[in-house]
Amino acid sequence: MPKEVAEMAGKIKQLIEGIIAERSKGNEMLAKVVKTKLILKGINPAHYSDQSEDDPAIINKLENMQQNLKH
Amino acid sequence: MTIAIARSEKGTVAEAVRELMDTFASSKIKMLVYFASTKYAPSEISAKMQSSFPLATIFGCSSAGEIFQGKMTKGSVVAMAFDDASLVDVKVAVVKNLSRKIDVRDAYISFERHFGAPVNEMKPSNYLGIVLVDGMCGREERLMDAIGDRTNVLFIGGSAGDDLNFQSTHVYANGKSYTDAAVLALLKPAAPFELVKTQSVREMGVELVVTKANEEQREIVEFNHRPAAQAYAGALGVSVHELAALFPSHPLGLVIDGEPYIRSPKHIAGDSVFFHCSSVEGMPLSLLKLTNLIDDTKETLARSIAKLGGVSAVIVFNCAHRALELEYRHLTDKYGAVFAEVPTIGFNSYGEQFIGHMNQTATMILFR
Repeated sequence: MPKEVAEMAGKIKQLIEGIIAERSKGNEMLAKVVKTKLILKGINPAHYSDQSEDDPAIINKLENMQQNLKH
Repeated sequence: MTIAIARSEKGTVAEAVRELMDTFASSKIKMLVYFASTKYAPSEISAKMQSSFPLATIFGCSSAGEIFQGKMTKGSVVAMAFDDASLVDVKVAVVKNLSRKIDVRDAYISFERHFGAPVNEMKPSNYLGIVLVDGMCGREERLMDAIGDRTNVLFIGGSAGDDLNFQSTHVYANGKSYTDAAVLALLKPAAPFELVKTQSVREMGVELVVTKANEEQREIVEFNHRPAAQAYAGALGVSVHELAALFPSHPLGLVIDGEPYIRSPKHIAGDSVFFHCSSVEGMPLSLLKLTNLIDDTKETLARSIAKLGGVSAVIVFNCAHRALELEYRHLTDKYGAVFAEVPTIGFNSYGEQFIGHMNQTATMILFR
């Protein structure tokens, strides 16, 4: 894969994994709830891989979610 | 653990609240939650409830029919009272102006000050959130997003009703009545509790993917890149003219890990279908078919009580669609009887909340 393409992919998966890890702290029940919240927002974690394109609208939703938990 | 319930269908606010006071006479009430028919003027009943129980934290909403241990009623007020033995602490906050901007920060700051702990660190096994929201505001999805983004505590509840007039619904707190608002109550119960979501549907094996939607209006313009009404009707094997008649029995649902989050269709306009809950573009919705509401609810309740290891009280947020379906099938009394063995209050709602917003569902809180 060309370098410029690789740099424009996979951020959504990273953000999703970060949010689930941060919020659930390893608790499976909480991880399931966070995944449900994401799917209800239209972001299904199962649909994103390291190769998924960095869609700015989805990234924005996820970053907001991350920020909201901190404040 | 002492949780008491009371009900009145007296004709005036003064008489009804007096009857509740008489029933709760010996209780030292810490928190009181109530659901009332709009035959009781919203501002009047909210003020009267607060002045009649001045030491209690009181909140509630208007309803489209009430549930009271073993009975489904109309034109009444039902209430549940908690004392020190059943409730460690509670704090209520009102989120106003939902149609302008949904911001729960002030509510959460008030929770943090009251409980002395950050909401993002509160354990969902120790705390429980109740949400009651204006059922005509159409903003429940955004509200639940905002609530859930900032905490792991689970909020459960219902959208206020107005006896099926669909004119004006109200939430009650601090002796006042609010529209375009939500009441959030954060509880620290004294004993374990269980949150339940139940719906009586099964998947028909057909999926409609939302390919064009107007989320704010709860409008779906296209399914599978086809006009929404045509695609929905086609999935059921009927014409668009026959589709609306099948809405109550064949809603759609977002199915997550086998658990449906129902979106009930409301009406057809042009090629679009409008719902009581929004869907996001790209969301796959399963075509659903109603199953046995009585048996499903009974089984869910029994299973949940067994999991909790007993139950002392239940609060039910029951979709008005379910209540209408029960009436149509002459099963209302039978449904009420499902809750005959446990002190129960509840109301028929214009939408239900648990993690998100949904329809044609009953959400419940079971207190051990």
